[in-house]
Amino acid sequence: MPSARVDTAELPHTATHRARVGPLLTTLGAASVLAFALLTPDEYDQHLVMWVGLNAVLAVSLRFVLLVGETNIATGAFYGIGAYVAALCTVNFGVPFPLALLAGGIVATLVSAAFGLITLRAKGPYFMLISFAFTEVMRLIYTRIDYIGGNSGIMGVFPPQSLDPLMPALTVLLCGGLVLALYLCERSDLGRVFRAIENNDAIVETIGINVMSVKLLCLILASFAVGVAGALHAHIYNVISPGDFSYLVPVFALAYVKIGGDSHVLGAVLGAGLLTLVAQALEGAGALEQILFGGAIVAAMLVLPDGLWGAGKRLLGLLWR
Amino acid sequence: MALSPLLVAQDLSRRFGGLLAVNDLSFEVREGEVLGLIGPNGAGKSTTFNVISGFYRPTSGRLSFRGEDITGMSASAISRRGLVRTFQHGSLLRDMSVHDNILIGALRAVRDRRGRQRHVRDTAELLGLGGLLEATAGSLPHGHQRMLSIAIALAARPTLLCLDEPLTGLNSTEIAVALGTIQRVRQEFATTIMLVDHNMRAVMRICDRIVVLNHGQKLAEGTPAYIRNDPEVIRAYLGDDA
Repeated sequence: MPSARVDTAELPHTATHRARVGPLLTTLGAASVLAFALLTPDEYDQHLVMWVGLNAVLAVSLRFVLLVGETNIATGAFYGIGAYVAALCTVNFGVPFPLALLAGGIVATLVSAAFGLITLRAKGPYFMLISFAFTEVMRLIYTRIDYIGGNSGIMGVFPPQSLDPLMPALTVLLCGGLVLALYLCERSDLGRVFRAIENNDAIVETIGINVMSVKLLCLILASFAVGVAGALHAHIYNVISPGDFSYLVPVFALAYVKIGGDSHVLGAVLGAGLLTLVAQALEGAGALEQILFGGAIVAAMLVLPDGLWGAGKRLLGLLWR
Repeated sequence: MALSPLLVAQDLSRRFGGLLAVNDLSFEVREGEVLGLIGPNGAGKSTTFNVISGFYRPTSGRLSFRGEDITGMSASAISRRGLVRTFQHGSLLRDMSVHDNILIGALRAVRDRRGRQRHVRDTAELLGLGGLLEATAGSLPHGHQRMLSIAIALAARPTLLCLDEPLTGLNSTEIAVALGTIQRVRQEFATTIMLVDHNMRAVMRICDRIVVLNHGQKLAEGTPAYIRNDPEVIRAYLGDDA
């Protein structure tokens, strides 16, 4: 027992020391991405940065629900709902751009609340399958409604012209803000309860916390973020169609999380960034792209069980000594 | 000691298909006492525990806690009223630190942040986990894990603490420590305790009263000395695992 006391007494010192380096590096990284987004004249680069931002939110949102132990493939549905709602707001009703983004987030939140109330009683593979089905059903529904363009979707979803040069930076800021907000939730006591539910939900129930409502809250927060990202998506690509919101969207997000590393939010961001760039490099490779992606996931699972983030951390740990 | 009833179970039954796991069971837990629930395997002890803690709904019968009808309430609602239980096996948050385990327990009971930290440390200290706050729960030795599962429940400041087989799988030294701890918990927190266990000698030593179950029904109820000499109880246990 006394020896354990000595160990724990020394731990906090080095931990706080390292804790200061982490946020510093993260801020530097985020700032340089933002600077790049603001300054790059190349339209292709601008699109790439925005694409990374959207994928990062998708990955972080999916990971957020993973904290309570559920694989939420409905992430794709809420992304799509955010995109469609915002596109309708802009194209059909001329709603101001910020409000259109907010509307996308809010409607995604409301739908996720209804979805969660019904489905969150199911766990593990059951919830995953239901959430998968929901994403696909939503995609089919978009194709059947003429008002939202059926199979061809909605065109001409433009942000205000004055914002055009600022869109890359704005996207980075908004996506960064959403990621940071979800991370702060994770770091709070609420995040501890999420992890506790993932560990053993019966214990959480016995100490007086309603597990169902906490899981619902988790889903709602994640869906708001991804709804706003979907709304941004519509305004960045200017065209949306049902095919943009298939189950492939959350499955790729899952790949970002697993390859980047699910133990830290930055792992998901890292995975999204890296794999988006890789996908870009493989553009035009057709089916090969998906085969290589699948191979990368399998390889990451075998070689890097905690993803790139975990591997990087281990490497740093070796160097630190 | 004027002992008013804290928990009253009235004609409690729980049926699983054709099996009547708990059959017309009535008993009460009185304020400040340690009540033992014993019986041969399959007597309905665990089902009784699950029913009073809200994990199963009773098929029939009534439950009241501190004078309030809690029949059919959810587990979390019952827990918020002060009845907190532990589980038989591995009721831990395995991947989380000892500190975070106890903190989760204290989250609802202690609202102010600084008070909660103090409460976490005090609870850990009381259960012999004071030097292990940073350790991962799943990596603790078995005896410490048991104490931690009690610590989580205790951190929720229960009026009635229900311990489901707190001694099973512990060696004799660990049992002695665990019994001492339960006694201390009782004294320092004035907590009423109800426990299920197979270790007859330990139950006899620590409990003020004992309820004996057999085939889902109450076979006997009384002080340890009375139970030890009850012919019905002796008959039920002969040929069984006791």
